[in-house]
Amino acid sequence: MKNKILDNLPTLFVIMIVAFSFIMVFNHAYSETQDRVVLINSGKAGGSFNARTQMYKEGLVAAGYNVQFENVGKISQAVKMFKESDQPTVMVYANNQVYKQDLFHTESNFIIAEYQQPLYVCRTNTSKDKTGVLTVAHGKGYDPALLTNLLGDNITLVPYKNSGAMLKGILGGDVDMMVNNQGKSFKYIKSGQGTCEASDVLPTMVATVIGKNIDLQEIRKVIFDITMNLQFIEYHTSRKLVRPSSTWEQELALTQELEKGYAVK
Amino acid sequence: MNELIAVSTGLFAGTITGIVPGAGVMVAMIVATPLLMHFDIIQLLLFYMSLASMVQFTGTIPAVYLGVPGETNSLPAVIEGTKFNKRKMAKLAIGICAVGSVLGSLVAVAITYGLLSVLVEHMTVFFSNATKFYLYIFIIVFCLLVYNKKNILVNLLLCAGGFMLSVPGESDISPDFRYTFGIEDLQFGIPLIPVLIGFLIVPTIAKMFSASNSNVFLPNIDIGFCKVIKYFRKKLIASSLRGSIIGYLCGFVPGVSTVLSTNASYSFEKKLHPNNPGKLLVSSETANNSGQFASMLPLLLIGIPITGSEIVLYSMLVDAGWSPFQFDNVANNADMIFRQIVPWFVVANIVGLIVAWPLARKILNVFANSKKYMIVILAVGMLLLNTYLGILDYRVWLYTICLLVFSCIGLLIKKYETVPLIFMFILGNDMEGVFFRQMLI
Repeated sequence: MKNKILDNLPTLFVIMIVAFSFIMVFNHAYSETQDRVVLINSGKAGGSFNARTQMYKEGLVAAGYNVQFENVGKISQAVKMFKESDQPTVMVYANNQVYKQDLFHTESNFIIAEYQQPLYVCRTNTSKDKTGVLTVAHGKGYDPALLTNLLGDNITLVPYKNSGAMLKGILGGDVDMMVNNQGKSFKYIKSGQGTCEASDVLPTMVATVIGKNIDLQEIRKVIFDITMNLQFIEYHTSRKLVRPSSTWEQELALTQELEKGYAVK
Repeated sequence: MNELIAVSTGLFAGTITGIVPGAGVMVAMIVATPLLMHFDIIQLLLFYMSLASMVQFTGTIPAVYLGVPGETNSLPAVIEGTKFNKRKMAKLAIGICAVGSVLGSLVAVAITYGLLSVLVEHMTVFFSNATKFYLYIFIIVFCLLVYNKKNILVNLLLCAGGFMLSVPGESDISPDFRYTFGIEDLQFGIPLIPVLIGFLIVPTIAKMFSASNSNVFLPNIDIGFCKVIKYFRKKLIASSLRGSIIGYLCGFVPGVSTVLSTNASYSFEKKLHPNNPGKLLVSSETANNSGQFASMLPLLLIGIPITGSEIVLYSMLVDAGWSPFQFDNVANNADMIFRQIVPWFVVANIVGLIVAWPLARKILNVFANSKKYMIVILAVGMLLLNTYLGILDYRVWLYTICLLVFSCIGLLIKKYETVPLIFMFILGNDMEGVFFRQMLI
């Protein structure tokens, strides 16, 4: 029995290679028949850009797309890649990036406005009774004039690299206040060290999806279905998803209007 | 069974990563992505922990024998380890490092167990700008006073050079790109790998090549394992314990973690025993393992990654379904650490000790018999690594040009220790932000 198996080993080996080749050819042919789309992940782990891109990756694959996932993780690099792409390309984006990245929402790239989020102003419990100058952590891209208008002259603005660094700064006791996004502000509230309030003066962030070399209206329908899919319910809950139930034109107009708030004077 | 698979593959990957000079935990995580996509949350954590622990053991081997750091935090091992090698005592160096690493890991576990409640309450102290500010002051003073035979002027120039290299691109405190000279790829800064290869590895290769009858690969004096243990117990245990504690505390500092652990511990020991390579080596290598365990705690307890490789891990954990809301209950996470992670961490360290010792012996034999081939393999390997990482980073031309330029400069200044330059390059941007904020706060 053992000898028989050994004698037939080369034949089995050839059969396995042929079968493997067939599977590979079939897979390749199958993927060629699907609609191909490049999905650029511009977000870092734990951030909303990353979470949203992962959601669209799963959704697009489930919708029958052949997704080429480009995990860039750095928004500047991702934008560069998006601008240079000659393939059907989709990327998660937001209106607070447009001036820095020099990539604005237009009729030729806008797909959907996914949700809106206000910026939050958080304050430590220990600084509640403080009367002197207050130190305020802010993202390096924020307009200092806008923050001074909102919070008064009796503040010292302390710039941080990003929202995560700001959160660490306020948790570490560096500053009395911070101006941060919803996700990090909610984390801060959970720490119990302070309180946060949504600002109605600071610009509103609109999370969007943009595309290139692709039928924008057709992909908009697919993207909309993905955001409404029940399997992403945890994502909806965690991000407080409130997608405006409006037309493409209205969403584009709103996004373009709100992105003006991020122009650094 | 699933845990065993994760730990075994992590240990294997760690062994390879440690031996390949220049490759680090982050590179290994990226290379292993196709495998890791199939792992669940606990498997991912165990893989990372085994990989990171094993790298601390095997990373010492190229550091001591080749004078090339396996990881950026192996620089003290390079400086002190090569002193052992010149005296044909490389095996002793590997042995005491391995034993020290196990002790460091066990001390880290013990400290965590004993101080868990205090740790959870005061974790945020390590996030404070002031803590980082004083640590950076310490590092600068250390760089100026310790390297290049305490030649402050040379060290100052190297520090300035390193800082200048860190400046182009995006700063931590301003939204604009600076000193990019119109080169778009420079917006993301000068890449790390060409700097490491150019200023550290190329000069080392040149030294190895020019040494006609180098003792680098000469057979070493054979030293038994029991003798190593005895030597360690008699002479080095105090340094090892000091290193464990310093390394553990520094391990919590975001961004620099084990790099700070090894170097802070090294510099502290250098003040106490400036001319004792054994104590210096053991102190820094012990701190490395101790810091490695500590650096994982903020991620495991409160979900905040503090090192580059942890960010990659975190990304994979999120993909595998790890919810940030898991961190609402820190006590549960602490329970998970001690029930599911720590036992395997101890196993990984014991395997590390068992593997590093005989593996070093085998590698020594290979090095001793094929010096020229090893130099060629090392040079080609570095070139391939640089190109591969350049492609991954979409900046392959910048990587190549930087490698050429820094290699030429590295050759010109090969007689100097370039560690201050590397330090300032890695930390420069963060340091600038920390100093600026400290003035404002």
